Amino acid sequence: MINVGLGSAIGAVVRYLVTTWWKRSQIDWPFATLFINVTGAGLLGLVIRHFGSANGQYLFWGVGVMGGYTTFSTLNTELVAMFDEHAYGKLLSYLVLTYGGGLLAVWLILG
Amino acid sequence: MKVKNILSVAGFAFIGGILRYLLTIIAPGMGVLLANWLGCLLLSFLTYYVIERDLIAGWLNLGLGTGLIGAFTTFSSFTTTTIQLGNNEWRFALVYGLASLIGGFVLALMGYWLAKRLVEMEEYHD
Repeated sequence: MINVGLGSAIGAVVRYLVTTWWKRSQIDWPFATLFINVTGAGLLGLVIRHFGSANGQYLFWGVGVMGGYTTFSTLNTELVAMFDEHAYGKLLSYLVLTYGGGLLAVWLILG
Repeated sequence: MKVKNILSVAGFAFIGGILRYLLTIIAPGMGVLLANWLGCLLLSFLTYYVIERDLIAGWLNLGLGTGLIGAFTTFSSFTTTTIQLGNNEWRFALVYGLASLIGGFVLALMGYWLAKRLVEMEEYHD
């Protein structure tokens, strides 16, 4: 259980650093979260392919690091912010790129 | 880049990741979906109520939002579960995928709506 916590802490700090770095660009489009979720999905696919999904390596790298690195709540809060701004085109493109990109990345590895 | 912020994100994410893991043990097959749903409601409420009202310190807000709730929810595990379900039975993958996508967005909308109503009520009483 401690290894899940440590992995999550590492993953979340990397996510925080990537999003903070991206926010400096002042571009009003959440590319950082998109990048994190799509790369994290693909990397979790690789973790499962190499370690399986029932051992200590998976708990640390998969449940911990990739679980903490990627996020579902930020994605949906950003979608709600776009809905609030009536930016429906942006909302739809962000949704399609995230789900499409994430699922495609994993499908290429595990499908 | 403050060290305090990084330590806050790390410490709260440690807890968030473990809570998600415990939920997957308590509710096998449903744990990640439940964590993602609950996290969407909580993060959008936190964003539109606590942050807009400036109720807590920046480092704590970052720890709770980016650390605790950010690590409690996960996108990577959603995608691998959906693809693995799809390898066996595409109908299960479709139901799981849509439940996550629609459920997550609707719950985030509910958090946003609750926050707006509360702010309105408080402004009315002020």
